[in-house]
Amino acid sequence: MANVDRREFLKLVGAGGVGAGAGFMLAESIKHPVEYLIPYPVPPEEFSPGIATWYNSVCGMCPAGCGISVRTREGRAKKIEGNPLHPVNQGRLCALGQAGLQVLYNPDRLTGPMIQSGQRGDDKFVKITWEDGLSRTAERLAAARRDGISFLSQGVRGHLAELFELFMGELGSDRLLHYDFGHPHALYAANRKFFGEHQLPYYDIRNTRYLLSFGADYLTNWLSPVHHALGFGHSRQGNDGHRGRFVQIEPKMSISGAAADEWIPARPGTEGFLALGIAHHIVADGRYDGDDAGKWRASLADWSSDRVAGLSGVSEETISRLAREFAHAEPALAIAGGAAANHTNAVDTLVAVNALNYLVGNIGKAGGVVFNPDPVTGGSVIDRQANYRTMQNLIENARDGNIDVLIVNNTNPAFTLPRASGFREALAAIPTIVSLSSFMDETTLMADVLLPSHTYLEAWGDDMPQPGVGFPVGAISQPVVAPLYNSRSTGDIILGLAGKLGFNEAIPWTSMEDFLKDGWRQIYERGRPESGDFDAFWRDVLVSGVWGENARRDDSVVIAPGVIEGLAVSAPQFSGERGDYPFILHSYLSTAMYDGRGANLPWMQELPDPMTSIVYGTWVEMNPVTAKDMGFRDGDLVTVTSRFGSIEAPVVTFPAIMPDVVAIPIGQGHNALGRYARNRGANPIEILAPETDSASGNLATSATRVALAATGRRAAPVKTGGESRQLGRGIVQSTGGRSGSPGHSAKLNSIPIVVESA
Amino acid sequence: MQTEERQLQFTDIHNDVVRSLVVTGRKYYITLGCAIVLMLACFFFPWFYQLYYGIGAAGMNSPTVWGTYLASFIFWIGLSHSGTLLSCVLHITNSQWRKAMYRSAEAMTLFSLMVAAMMVMVHLGRPWFIHWAVPYPNQMGLWPNFRSPLLFDVMAITTYLTGSSIFIYMGSIPDFAAVRDRTAGWRHHMYVLLSLGWRGTDTEWHRLGWAYTFLAVLIIPLAVSVHSIVSWDFAMSIVPGLHQTIFAPYFVVGAIYSGTAGIVTVMFVLRKYMNFEQYITKLHFDNLGKLLLVLSLLWSYINILELFTGWYSGTSTEYEQLKYKLFGFYAPLYWEMILFCGVAPLLLISNKFRTSFVPMLLLSIAINIGMYTERFLIIATTLSRQYLPESWRVYVPSLVELSIIVGSVAMFVTLFLLFVKIFPSVSIYEVKETMKIPKRKGIPEWQATH
Amino acid sequence: MSIWDRFASGWREFRKDGYYEEFDYAWTMTIDLDRCTGCGACVTACQAENNIPIVGEEQLERGREMQWIRIERYWEGEYPNAKLKFIPMLCQQCDAAPCETVCPVTATYHNQDGLNVQVYNRCIGTRSCAVYCPYTVRYFNYNDHHWDAPLEQQLNPDVTVREKGVMEKCTFCVQRIRQAKDHAKDDGRRRVRDGEVQPACVQTCPSEALVFGDRKDASSRVSKSMSDARAYRVLDELNTQPSVVYLKKVDADAD
Repeated sequence: MANVDRREFLKLVGAGGVGAGAGFMLAESIKHPVEYLIPYPVPPEEFSPGIATWYNSVCGMCPAGCGISVRTREGRAKKIEGNPLHPVNQGRLCALGQAGLQVLYNPDRLTGPMIQSGQRGDDKFVKITWEDGLSRTAERLAAARRDGISFLSQGVRGHLAELFELFMGELGSDRLLHYDFGHPHALYAANRKFFGEHQLPYYDIRNTRYLLSFGADYLTNWLSPVHHALGFGHSRQGNDGHRGRFVQIEPKMSISGAAADEWIPARPGTEGFLALGIAHHIVADGRYDGDDAGKWRASLADWSSDRVAGLSGVSEETISRLAREFAHAEPALAIAGGAAANHTNAVDTLVAVNALNYLVGNIGKAGGVVFNPDPVTGGSVIDRQANYRTMQNLIENARDGNIDVLIVNNTNPAFTLPRASGFREALAAIPTIVSLSSFMDETTLMADVLLPSHTYLEAWGDDMPQPGVGFPVGAISQPVVAPLYNSRSTGDIILGLAGKLGFNEAIPWTSMEDFLKDGWRQIYERGRPESGDFDAFWRDVLVSGVWGENARRDDSVVIAPGVIEGLAVSAPQFSGERGDYPFILHSYLSTAMYDGRGANLPWMQELPDPMTSIVYGTWVEMNPVTAKDMGFRDGDLVTVTSRFGSIEAPVVTFPAIMPDVVAIPIGQGHNALGRYARNRGANPIEILAPETDSASGNLATSATRVALAATGRRAAPVKTGGESRQLGRGIVQSTGGRSGSPGHSAKLNSIPIVVESA
Repeated sequence: MQTEERQLQFTDIHNDVVRSLVVTGRKYYITLGCAIVLMLACFFFPWFYQLYYGIGAAGMNSPTVWGTYLASFIFWIGLSHSGTLLSCVLHITNSQWRKAMYRSAEAMTLFSLMVAAMMVMVHLGRPWFIHWAVPYPNQMGLWPNFRSPLLFDVMAITTYLTGSSIFIYMGSIPDFAAVRDRTAGWRHHMYVLLSLGWRGTDTEWHRLGWAYTFLAVLIIPLAVSVHSIVSWDFAMSIVPGLHQTIFAPYFVVGAIYSGTAGIVTVMFVLRKYMNFEQYITKLHFDNLGKLLLVLSLLWSYINILELFTGWYSGTSTEYEQLKYKLFGFYAPLYWEMILFCGVAPLLLISNKFRTSFVPMLLLSIAINIGMYTERFLIIATTLSRQYLPESWRVYVPSLVELSIIVGSVAMFVTLFLLFVKIFPSVSIYEVKETMKIPKRKGIPEWQATH
Repeated sequence: MSIWDRFASGWREFRKDGYYEEFDYAWTMTIDLDRCTGCGACVTACQAENNIPIVGEEQLERGREMQWIRIERYWEGEYPNAKLKFIPMLCQQCDAAPCETVCPVTATYHNQDGLNVQVYNRCIGTRSCAVYCPYTVRYFNYNDHHWDAPLEQQLNPDVTVREKGVMEKCTFCVQRIRQAKDHAKDDGRRRVRDGEVQPACVQTCPSEALVFGDRKDASSRVSKSMSDARAYRVLDELNTQPSVVYLKKVDADAD
């Protein structure tokens, strides 16, 4: 062996050791630092560590009013589930409802009262105490003229709405408005006109065998989407022996359109004609045998299918087939919403759709239109819902200097009203603006005093969903966690103001919880109390998360006099000439964003749009042939210009949209509302024309014409999906309508379609 | 084998090789310095950044979860087949012309394997746990998953690495001894250690020859199996375009192909910069060129087969995958690969081409670029077009990845540069054997008769 | 018995039902494509339940989504006869899973309940399981994730928060299954009843398109659902034997 002496050997070993040590240090530096878990030596009373506590409450993410059960661990809300006992959602919940946790734990929540320290819109606010905030506001309210006080809230039902009424009543002001962008004003107006009913009926999708939907995206955001989805599922495959048929008539395929068996594009604004055409067929073909058949025939005489086909673009054959199918199916149901309910002829259209329901005799029957008993509380709210005309009135008054104080509660007209309304400018003319919103949205940005409310998961309240489910139902919203910040529940803020203003006689309560309890005492005394005393009743309602009354509307509903004779649909009006503005803008409420309130929730930003799989942005949907003709490719940034403004968004080709219609989802385009929402996308509401439906005062959001122009830039939208064609791989498989395979329990599409001769 | 000018003497070989080890010019230090700096800047620095930030620093996404790291890994493993082929296969077939080159070729093998192992470390999401892929008794009572093709990889590559290291070391012992006797100072001590007291007795030569041949015979199936196993990382999946039985021969052929091209490159460099013109001659390039031509034709054949079977299958998955490869986002790369690896090597038909040094160098580099592209395309085009069309994505390598590719080449160059100063890069005793010396006592007949 | 026989029988022993516990389950999910509306409630519910990170716009632009269940959409036809069909895609918990074969460190394996489990702390991030999965339902953590305070207060303490370099995928809400099995055990060693455990997606689906249960229990809702004539499995021809059964959408106007 060669000579390796000791020195050399040690040198080698040393070198090796250093190398190993270096490697070890590297590994250590990359690992995460050690974390310690400190157990509760003395756990708090409210929870047991390691065991979840569930609280029932009411979801506050959209007006549907689903019941929720919230799982909390160690005082933190972890998961929202639907409350299985609540009749509206029966244990299910939509994506926006699930994201309520991110409303509670949003990093951009307002944490306490503040006042404006710079100019309005500067976003410079200074913290103050509640005492200070309430005093200031009370001062301004006391100093204001009676009619100069305006309260603009999001749509609120239940006892909070009553508290608002009380408060404004004491202040002597009638300017209490509830403003929601998606409120179905036209539907309410149509029901008033046709049935003389003040409230909306319950549309029984669950038990229907044929749903004819004129534009209503009932699965996404029309009235009560979770309830409708439950009904849809049941009607499809939950009903032994029958599979419901769903037909959707709209200019751009929505989710409900994708779920439908048949999607029929009709010219925007002609849905009313179509309804009348179908009604004409039903009556003319002798499928209606009521006493007033003669009146109907006379009234509908002009609406023959060739005329309607010419107006709407739907073939005569389809019209007569729809009429046949609709009349044959028992029961059938016709609903309208979305684009159809947002034209200048909206009320007429919806009245025509009501006529269809009447003609097939589904009023008050299962699978049809069922009217609810009067709501137990908060019924007056319906009159307080502000349509565009009302808001214009408010804006004009503000401009004329008639408004001294505006109190805003969790509604954002600075975002959800078109620029042409002049709302933002009108705000400048109001000396004092107080916001009770939980977030710094565009409207709150213009406020002088911020008195932030709790989110719905931290506050007491209640809700009686409208429309109901055919019988009175309600639920109490209770705090599921201790309040995170120095906010207060809206009710407590109002009560605090009332206290400062000295309304102690009329409004003696000191907390919303007390007010609520008193209100529910009355509800308790209504029915025969099954539980022993009010406290037990209160406990029961909270533990079950729902309250209901076994009461139905027993008086039969008749149509208002003169309705049949007055049946008419006027031609839709559009803003802008076809030559200059070749496209009709269809702006729609999206699944995740709703009216923009989902934009600051990261889960909702990351939820791919179901139809296009796009996330984090706004886009313009366009028919592929049109796009090719105009030389647009997917991802080309274009300007969308109406007579009232212009926005930019990338083009996305969409196979199921009419060639002269472009669709833009609502929800993005914020310049406030936190880090996830800000400076992202564009807001199509901005460029909407201030056209209204004259009968209801509803903003005709579908009445804007736009022009598209290339910018030369590209801004490809971020998609999670790749190729949207199956290429013959049989991934989504379907089976035909007349499946004769034995053992198949659900008979498919059992509506007998009888082909009649001429 | 004689050179053109004059008869080489034993002392010439000794002198040249020892000179290559002992005499270092400035050019060498500059090159080494550059290589080390490039390695640190382009490999280690981005890699540490990636360790800190996560694999997100690379360009991979869902579902193209594999990218240039794995392509590099396979490329370097492929390059490692050079030494095997030249050393072992040609040794057993008694070819003379390998004698001057095989040492460097074996070194290429070794270092390619080391770089490939580094690429695995770079590729892993949590490389600090790589030891879990090694079967050792542990307190968790867990063994790795022996069914996994990736574990076959681990086994195969470590065996190959061990085998190649022993092989190259063992074959160099007489050379270490020769150099030991000619150097002084710290070098002398180093070679004393390395030569393990070789005295050059007949018994020692006999044992060396026997062991050498034994290992040569062993390493050939090992090499074939290594790259087949690496190919099974892909072929055992059910991804369309990857799940093909031809992958094992495809990869082995490709490996030998790119390995041989690698040898041509290295030979050119050695010849020029280590002044080995007399040992590495036109004949070597000529023979390597012929080998390359055969391999290129084989490679083209396999590619055509792939196209044919993909089209013939008639399924949407295979067809779309093929269409994408030929005409999709990566189409320019595909046609570049065909050009460099399928069309350009046809130039090797020409005798003149094969014996011109610079054209051969350029062609060999082009072939390796093409082969790297091929590995990259295998990953990028197949993972981008899987079964569910909604999961189709495009993968674009990030700067970190491109930098690491450059860095890996720099690492290889660094290792090789260090090698040429420690190991005799031309085998002294084997070259001597080509020079018609009298038969030595005790050596097998077959070794003396050529 | 010979040594070989003893080895073989021991090997086969733990493959028999009931070796690990008295009750073994075979968790299965059916997805009725005729009911699915593509609304995405399942996606958000899963995110809430399983601490799925928000990857952000930049990462999504690079294609690194993180949704254990995703809605795939496929168009058919052209205007005006275009149809859009949705299919929720999640880990199919294949009984012959390609991903299990390839993980070199056994970070993914099949447990006795028929679930394909992912062990986060064993994963070294080779990502070969994601390559082998034909449904591309495995998602890799390309970087460490961050929750802007106080969003992290919402994280589910029953589920690990994964670090970078680790692969993750749908687990059929194994934490809920584990809890249900524990409760059943505490309750006197009974079987988990049908409907007692629901993954988050199944629980929230508004149209009741997802049904979950144990197919070993012949009376369970999912067993009945599986035997529907419309039942099929996606990519059936690959024989991965998925535990997710889809029910064909009904095309009412087709012949």
